[in-house]
Amino acid sequence: MSTADCEQQGTGWGILEDLPGDPMIWVLIFSELVAFGLFLGAFTVARAIHPAVFAAGQATLDSNLAGLNTIVLVTSGWAAARATKAARAGERQVARYWIFGAMALGGLFIAIKLAEYAEEIGRGVGLETSPFFTLYFLLTGFHLLHVGLGIVILAVVCRRAEVSGVETGTAFWHMVDLVWIVMFPILYLAK
Amino acid sequence: MTMPDRIDITWIVLIGLALATILLPPLMPRPLLGNALLLAFAALKGHRIALDFMDLRAVPALWRGLVATWILTVLLLAWLASAIVVLI
Repeated sequence: MSTADCEQQGTGWGILEDLPGDPMIWVLIFSELVAFGLFLGAFTVARAIHPAVFAAGQATLDSNLAGLNTIVLVTSGWAAARATKAARAGERQVARYWIFGAMALGGLFIAIKLAEYAEEIGRGVGLETSPFFTLYFLLTGFHLLHVGLGIVILAVVCRRAEVSGVETGTAFWHMVDLVWIVMFPILYLAK
Repeated sequence: MTMPDRIDITWIVLIGLALATILLPPLMPRPLLGNALLLAFAALKGHRIALDFMDLRAVPALWRGLVATWILTVLLLAWLASAIVVLI
């Protein structure tokens, strides 16, 4: 099949073209979901093997601060969804304001999480304290990296604020939101 | 004044479920039921994010099914592991 044939039939992404934004971001999103899923599965299995160690570690975490971060990230996701709606309506400047809001709340999430880490490290807790804290720091740290990457992606798409770019950036942002929503009760609350 | 649309309603639902998730644990003396409720709240939140924020409501069911399967698999595994710990 020639390049011209491919162009006539679409961009060549097949069923991924049904998804909003650039299909490549969905390849990344599904890869990330698999990675986080395996990570959370490992945490769950380790917890079943060392229940006392995990219960003791979980009891020292600040679930209220993590709960506050859930509200911050969910609100950031809402701002990102409003940005997509504005971009689709052709209101680029409005879309930019919403993206700024989503990025600012993402920054607040990082600040709260770093404050939580500082408190934990100040108590002498670290990666090698116990299997619980090894997985806790790796999981939340990996997620925090994605929050940072998400802010960078939002900043890039904010410049032009055209529909496809905004859909692409916000799709990644919602994946970061989704992973935290699933991770929060497993790490902080489930007994 | 504009009426809230689906995105706004989803945000309100998510905030309500997040608050319920934070407030629930001290009120639940039985871990099995408490965990089931916490993880069910997470599943509901994830489902709303997938449908209304990720915008999967209008795409083929395959994509909604994949994300829903991910959410349910991770949360069900977590519940089963906690159930094993409680029951053994």
